[in-house]
Amino acid sequence: MRRGLVLSVFFALTIVLAFSLPFGASGSTKKFQGVQLTLAGESGLTINPMKWHRGEWGEMTGANINIVEHPFASLFEKIMTSFVTGTAAYDIIVYPSAWSGDIMGGGYVLPLTKYLKDNPDWDDILPLYRERIAAWGNTVYAFPLDGDSHMLYYRKDLIENPKYKADFKKKYGYDLQPPKTWKMYKDIAEFFTGWDWDGDGKPNYGVVESMARGGQSYWWFFSHSAAYVAIPGQVSLFFDPDNMKPLINSPGHVQGLQDYVDMVKYGPPGMLNYQVGDVRSEYPLGTAALAIDWGDVGTMANDPKLSKVVGKVGYLPLPGSTRVWNRKTGKWEDFPEINYAPYIAFGGWVASITKTCKNPDAAYDFLRYLNSPAVSLKDVTTGGSGFNPYRKSHFEAVQRWREFGFPNPEEYLQAIRFTIEHPNAQLDLRIPGAAEYFEVLDLNLSRALSKEVTPKQALDAVYQEWEKITNKLGREKQLRYYRESLGLPPK
Amino acid sequence: MAAQGAQPVAPLTSSQPRGGGRRLGGFIGKYGFILPTVGVILALSIYPLIYSLTLAFCSWQLTRIGGGRTFVGLANFIALMSDGRFWFSLKTTLIFVVVSVGVQYVIGLVMALILASEIRGRKFLRVLLLIPMMLTPVAIGYMWRMILNSTRGPANHFLTLVGLKPLEWLTSSDIALPSIILVDIWQWTPFFIVTLLAGIQSLPQDPYEAATIDGATGWQLFWYVTFPMLLPVSVTVIFLRAIEAFKVFDKIFVLTGGGPGMATESSTFYIYTLAFRHFNLGYASAAAYILLILIVFASTVLLNRIRRQMDVT
Repeated sequence: MRRGLVLSVFFALTIVLAFSLPFGASGSTKKFQGVQLTLAGESGLTINPMKWHRGEWGEMTGANINIVEHPFASLFEKIMTSFVTGTAAYDIIVYPSAWSGDIMGGGYVLPLTKYLKDNPDWDDILPLYRERIAAWGNTVYAFPLDGDSHMLYYRKDLIENPKYKADFKKKYGYDLQPPKTWKMYKDIAEFFTGWDWDGDGKPNYGVVESMARGGQSYWWFFSHSAAYVAIPGQVSLFFDPDNMKPLINSPGHVQGLQDYVDMVKYGPPGMLNYQVGDVRSEYPLGTAALAIDWGDVGTMANDPKLSKVVGKVGYLPLPGSTRVWNRKTGKWEDFPEINYAPYIAFGGWVASITKTCKNPDAAYDFLRYLNSPAVSLKDVTTGGSGFNPYRKSHFEAVQRWREFGFPNPEEYLQAIRFTIEHPNAQLDLRIPGAAEYFEVLDLNLSRALSKEVTPKQALDAVYQEWEKITNKLGREKQLRYYRESLGLPPK
Repeated sequence: MAAQGAQPVAPLTSSQPRGGGRRLGGFIGKYGFILPTVGVILALSIYPLIYSLTLAFCSWQLTRIGGGRTFVGLANFIALMSDGRFWFSLKTTLIFVVVSVGVQYVIGLVMALILASEIRGRKFLRVLLLIPMMLTPVAIGYMWRMILNSTRGPANHFLTLVGLKPLEWLTSSDIALPSIILVDIWQWTPFFIVTLLAGIQSLPQDPYEAATIDGATGWQLFWYVTFPMLLPVSVTVIFLRAIEAFKVFDKIFVLTGGGPGMATESSTFYIYTLAFRHFNLGYASAAAYILLILIVFASTVLLNRIRRQMDVT
């Protein structure tokens, strides 16, 4: 009996060892062997880099990343529902930085402070992204993955055409040149509207901009209005940081909206229903002289498969204004120099580790790999990633951009860097409820663009609605979050 | 014979396991088949319905940090009474339902009458007409977005070919809603054609023979024989389509996003906006329940009225 028992124990131990040894041995070779992480992101271009790199990172570490994709329209809802209901569905989330207020401010993601001490590559990220977009208050909660900001595209071949130059000067009394102010932008748009300036037998137009309801028109609107309202050193774009009263119907914003509405007649018929994708498909086809978009039109306009205007496109930061509304004095001020207030529309995609993540070290390791200079350079210079440059090294690797097909990458990179590093650059709204504030704005912009109401009436309506939202979400809380989003101390 | 062979049946008592087992087996058999279905219905229909109803009495905004869910009684419903956007979207929905379903019925009936007669290529036409109904609404939305594109779309190209001015199909506040109605009519008229055709083909022939002997004209045959006899099918098909049309969302989402302005914002689109753009789940649930109540009320009134009309006929 005793002999049988000994044999049984020996047999059982042999089996246990036989099964456990190989796994134990291989587990010791890779630092995150067997770790499973779940990453949530947008089903679209921006999830591609995660798909491209999870395999190679998995081979190095032994971990596996399960990617869960959601359409942009439901991404916020899915992420927030998992947080609010405590389902711990995701370890890593990739989301627009505009949602920082809800996600970082809501305390749903881990601060990265303890990890960043050992990350020598962190300082290579441009300060705007490193210190403001990736942070809430003074704490870093995310890795920036994308350097999004609006910029201006213009047709160099038109601006340099001697006949067009002469005709323009005759009509407007000054030289045709790349637009530096919104006034010039409007004149150029008007000049190039409604006639065949490229000789293809069809009429061309001045601009292409996104204007559709639900087509992110609010980012184009703020791109138009920021230079009229943002005085350096003064918070003037969304709310008064002292009392959370909306600044949206100030004369500066009304002027910006008037300019935006004026563009309807300088664009192709049907531009009122243009979404971001329409801007990106029409401009490379040579429809218009000017366009506003993120860095994406730049890459698409230089892709011979997509573009009829390869080598003909110039890049600039958004125009400025010499006339600026001062909200503190309540008067328009004439500036001796052009006031630029480049708008960091959207602010780009960032990635955070959720507080419910069971392997934050592994999650951090993956994000660090993804964000590393070499890997991220591949992503921002590759079409189909949806990511734009955000590291100093991205801007210095000019040769890599030239290899991608940019005939003049210096100009492109300079326009983006000017925007990102400008001291008066304006960040997007990042407080809780930002999506709701912008939805109401989107609706009223659409009413103004379709001439249902005047720009003033539209923005007065937005003011009322924003007040309601602020009161509903709690004025004190919202004020605190708004100040935190701007990096201001609590009141 | 049977009585002779039969064994006397002992009364069933709890001490007799065989009888108890049979009863238990009967119980399990009876409910075992029903319970999975009941469970599925409870889980997928009843639970969400009750959950969303309780949500309608709560304030739950995902973007209000630390706010959670709080009971607010009828506050959401009261707020909706003065929500101009909700009522405007309801008006838009009603216009959409009445015009779209009305036109679909008229065209569907005419086409069904044509297809019921002996014409060449009838079978081919039937199949062809079914295609729009089989496509997914989002695909239809994108297809029509291209067709109605102001500069590159074939619709305006065709208009200019015949000497007409191009239209701002999706960007004019006056034309955007009719454009969406047009797309809906294109998609769903085949549903009316198929159903009404089946109804026409199942009508008895005697009344027609009697009316023909009495000298009825073609129009009289239709108006006094076909139409009244087809009324039950017509009511059913209009009723089903109207309920579907009340829930229009996908075409609006793809074609106009509710714009320009609020020109094409339907109630369901507004409720979607409340739930998934404003993340105001309680308020959105209340709006959804008001819409449900209005649909049920309108359907009941409509059905009763038509039933009375049918009784008179």
